[in-house]
Amino acid sequence: MALKPSKMMYKRALGVLAVLVILGFGTGLVRLAKLQLIDGEMYRAKAEAQQLGDSSIQALRGTIYDRNMRPLAQSATAWKVFIDPSNIKNEKIAKMSGDEAQAALQVRRELVADGLSKILGVDKEEILKKAEKEKSGYQKIKSEVDLEEKQQVSEFIADNKLYDCIGIEPDTKRYYPFKTLASTIIGFTGTDDMGVEGLEHKYDDDLTGIPGRIISAKNGAMGSMPIEYTASYEAQQGTSLVLTIDETIQSLLEKELSKVYASSQANAAYGLVMDVKTGAILAMSNQPDYDLNEPYTIQDADVLAKIDKITDPAEKNQAVSTARQAQWRNRTISDTYEPGSVFKVITLASALEEGVVTESTRYTCVGGIQVADNYIKCHKHAGHGTQTLQQGLMNSCNPFFITVGQKLGAEKFFNYFEAFGFTEPTGIDLSGEAVPKAGATYHSRENFGISQLSSCSFGQTFQVSPIQMITAIAAIANGGKLMRPYVVAKKLDGDGNVIEETQPYVRRQVVSEQTARKVVDMMEAVVSDGTGRNANVAGYHVAGKTGTSQKIGAGNGKYIASFACVAPGDDPEIAILITVDEPVGQVNGGQLAAPVAAALVEGIMNYLGVEPEYSEKESRLIEIAAPSLVNSTVSAAQAVAKANGFSVKVVGDGDHVVKQVPAYGQLMPQKGVIILYTDSRAEETVQVPDLTGMRLSAVQKIANEYGLNLKIAGNAFTGADILSYSQDIEKDTVVKYGTVVTVSFKSYSGVSDSIYG
Amino acid sequence: MVKQFKQKRRLLSLFLDWNEGNLDVTFLLIVLALLTIGLIMLFSAGYSYAYYKYHNSTHFIARQALFAVIGIVFMLVASRINFNCFRSWALVGFGASLLLLLVVLVLPEYKPGFKRWIDLGPITFQPSEIAKIGIILFFAWACEKWQKRLKYDLKIQLLFIGIAGAFALLVYLENHLSGAVLMALLSVIMLFIGGLNRWWFIALGVVAVLGVMLLLAKPDLLKEYMGERITAWLDKDYDPTGARWQTNQSLNAIGSGGLLGQGLGESKQKHMYVSEPQNDFIFAIVCEELGFVGAAVILILFALLVWRGFVIAMRCRSRFGAAVAMGIVFQVGLQTVLNIFVVTDTMPNTGISLPFFSYGGTSLLMLLVEMGMVLSVSRASDITKK
Repeated sequence: MALKPSKMMYKRALGVLAVLVILGFGTGLVRLAKLQLIDGEMYRAKAEAQQLGDSSIQALRGTIYDRNMRPLAQSATAWKVFIDPSNIKNEKIAKMSGDEAQAALQVRRELVADGLSKILGVDKEEILKKAEKEKSGYQKIKSEVDLEEKQQVSEFIADNKLYDCIGIEPDTKRYYPFKTLASTIIGFTGTDDMGVEGLEHKYDDDLTGIPGRIISAKNGAMGSMPIEYTASYEAQQGTSLVLTIDETIQSLLEKELSKVYASSQANAAYGLVMDVKTGAILAMSNQPDYDLNEPYTIQDADVLAKIDKITDPAEKNQAVSTARQAQWRNRTISDTYEPGSVFKVITLASALEEGVVTESTRYTCVGGIQVADNYIKCHKHAGHGTQTLQQGLMNSCNPFFITVGQKLGAEKFFNYFEAFGFTEPTGIDLSGEAVPKAGATYHSRENFGISQLSSCSFGQTFQVSPIQMITAIAAIANGGKLMRPYVVAKKLDGDGNVIEETQPYVRRQVVSEQTARKVVDMMEAVVSDGTGRNANVAGYHVAGKTGTSQKIGAGNGKYIASFACVAPGDDPEIAILITVDEPVGQVNGGQLAAPVAAALVEGIMNYLGVEPEYSEKESRLIEIAAPSLVNSTVSAAQAVAKANGFSVKVVGDGDHVVKQVPAYGQLMPQKGVIILYTDSRAEETVQVPDLTGMRLSAVQKIANEYGLNLKIAGNAFTGADILSYSQDIEKDTVVKYGTVVTVSFKSYSGVSDSIYG
Repeated sequence: MVKQFKQKRRLLSLFLDWNEGNLDVTFLLIVLALLTIGLIMLFSAGYSYAYYKYHNSTHFIARQALFAVIGIVFMLVASRINFNCFRSWALVGFGASLLLLLVVLVLPEYKPGFKRWIDLGPITFQPSEIAKIGIILFFAWACEKWQKRLKYDLKIQLLFIGIAGAFALLVYLENHLSGAVLMALLSVIMLFIGGLNRWWFIALGVVAVLGVMLLLAKPDLLKEYMGERITAWLDKDYDPTGARWQTNQSLNAIGSGGLLGQGLGESKQKHMYVSEPQNDFIFAIVCEELGFVGAAVILILFALLVWRGFVIAMRCRSRFGAAVAMGIVFQVGLQTVLNIFVVTDTMPNTGISLPFFSYGGTSLLMLLVEMGMVLSVSRASDITKK
């Protein structure tokens, strides 16, 4: 009954088969060949791009150390908190529609913004704004988040199940543990961990590490894969810098500078301490400076007060920006000033080297000298009389040095001006060094006539940068060898291996060792008995030169007080330059800058462990041990103390001494006071009196009366009119009996080197 | 008594009668080869998604393997049944298909917006799957019965075309465009080999070309999602995270395979990139893991299956048997081609599964029963040869 298939059926079926196989399977195969063999690489690249999660691990920035490996700038792991606004809606909201969904979404945004704002201290409205960027998958909320805040964010995420919309990723944070210390040298980094100022900027390429990567497979649902496909490349920490800066010396310098900056109401005060043998900068500062952790905050109260008075917003912004630039500026290398009498040292060295003057050269100062059409007055109008070369330097006699310069001649003077490096940058490894310009900062060789020669001989009518000046002074202290100053001593890799070490570089021999020695000896006389006497430091032979100069073009009454010195005099190790810009009132370098240098020399020499050698006069500053007085009767104790040069103060009604301050064996100033307690009461206290503005004997007397011990600092013995000018414990401070108060003295006469003071 | 029994037996034999001939081993081997490869690839392609969705990597493969085993039994049983019995099944199948297609339209939606599935608790099935075999059997039977009139009688011609159209329309109403297209093409093939006057096909061809052109020009005429898929096919940059996501990810997967593939189990795209990689887009993962070589081997196996089915049909002395065998293998071939066109972005993305590979227990069961029917035809040819 079954019908056999017809021929037509076979034919038609064959047709269907042909169409299916050729058109269908054929096309399919051709398509596959195109996709897999021809375009395969393109699709594979696309696929890999989405399959691989490539997260970078930020490399820690290199550390900046001081020369004793104390970290001055340091990076630590921190975190970055971000939100994914596109994922704030959860499944519940996704199922809602219209206004209801919008409202629910807004509630969640509020939750996120509120929580993060509370933990991170970021403005809530700001977070809310970012959360509303619905299309965005990443909005940074805060970087440099510390561990504690990060943990709070993690808890907040977990508590509210906000896993998809708040994220935390690694970040780094730059810390400056010493805040303002060496701020103008170190500089700071921006939010992107890039150096903005100072060494952070100059050595940015070295300090920046190589970021690491974690390449991991991820699935399309943004989760990690059940199977591990991870390759990681570790982040390489950036190169660390070891500076020549010594944190102790730097803070000493900053402390002393800020004191003189405040007391002199100056525009600025800057100072440098250099290792004369290598050119290494041990300290370098200008006050006011800023806190590296908050570089955008104006630190100086006066400047801030001025800015606050400005009402126009644009003007105010401008003022803030100018003030920031000013506080970031490293004036010791970027600014120039008239060196004034300090420069006489250079004139002297040049003339001695050329043999145009000798130690026995004499000159009679009559209070002025005729140069071409001008009569140039000496600061001592009556004239210094007949002086030796050394005395001329000690008196800072201008006419004497004009004749010294004139003996040298313009040609040779200029040669030495060049040789000491005043026509070129020093080449210090910091950015922003001032570049001297002929005809602008100094007279060009072509235009160097008798007037120019004469004024330059005592340091007027041209400008140098502080770093140039101290480098030249250091050359004289270094046997005539001019060094290239530097602040980066070493570069270390991530494991602390030294990869580069700066070798001291001798630029040239400017004057002979003998000449240099002679000049240092004369500078020593300046300090021991000349205008520099306030730089006297007992036990160390300081060699220095004062300077007081009028600022060119800044109007009348704008001065710069400066002092340059080297110590110890017999074998100089350090050079110091202190400059006070536009002081008010007292403007003499010998008055303002020399005591700062003295304090520094004392502090630095002690710190460096250089043994003091006291002269007879100075030997009364040597501290001696307190005798044993406990258990003796009061009268016996008094006798012993007196025999040792001490006075006593008895507290209590007992017969026997039960306690003494200072204790037995403790070092204390000579002629000091020992407190004897005859009962076991608590130690008595006393209010510190004002001890400034007095002669040494008066200070000593008051101190003894108050039961305080006196430590003498500064210049207490050289010259006349010696008065105390500062004390380390402020008056009215309550201290225990027997406490040591350090009082600094300086001489108020014979230190003037200018007609201005 | 005996007579009565014989009558009863004859009646029964209309529905169930045993075949004695040997089945076509070549066809059986191709089926088993495809089934085996399909199962392996289903496990590989689906475990990640299964783990992600059900926290059980073997969720898909375990169910599919169970249905495969049951399906093989059903296939062997079906191969034993004399294909002549299928004539009696044709009308029953036709009626049942029609009924189920209507019922599914009134049942609650299994997936929102779609009325393709009937949910029977532990299993769900698509009536359109049953309708496919239903229409093959029906047209094979009808074309044999009214072969002459099919050529000349306009009423019969219109009736048959009307039935084909009605089936396609019903499936379309399920919101199942690809199913409707498949149903229509299958009906056309059955009527073509059944002997319908060729002018109809020329007219149909013209209408189809015009229709496709119209839809390509104005995809909005279709229901929203269908229109968007055409737009997404025409514009390769259209909504990459939405309408084109699946296709783009499919292309990325296929391309990543290159010549030799990433290796079995090594697909990355199956990890939540290619959506539902165990389903319609399983072939993309096959291409990624086995490369062009592997994909070509599988395509050739499918082609061989169609060819072998065709050979079996040619050997059959019965018009009905030949039509059933051809209908079944052409259906499998058609579905394979359309699936590959979809995953390779050769045509718009529509939901067409790949036989033997795609996840779906009841449809695998149906497929294996159909393979059994082809084998049954092969046994009959074997007898007539003897």
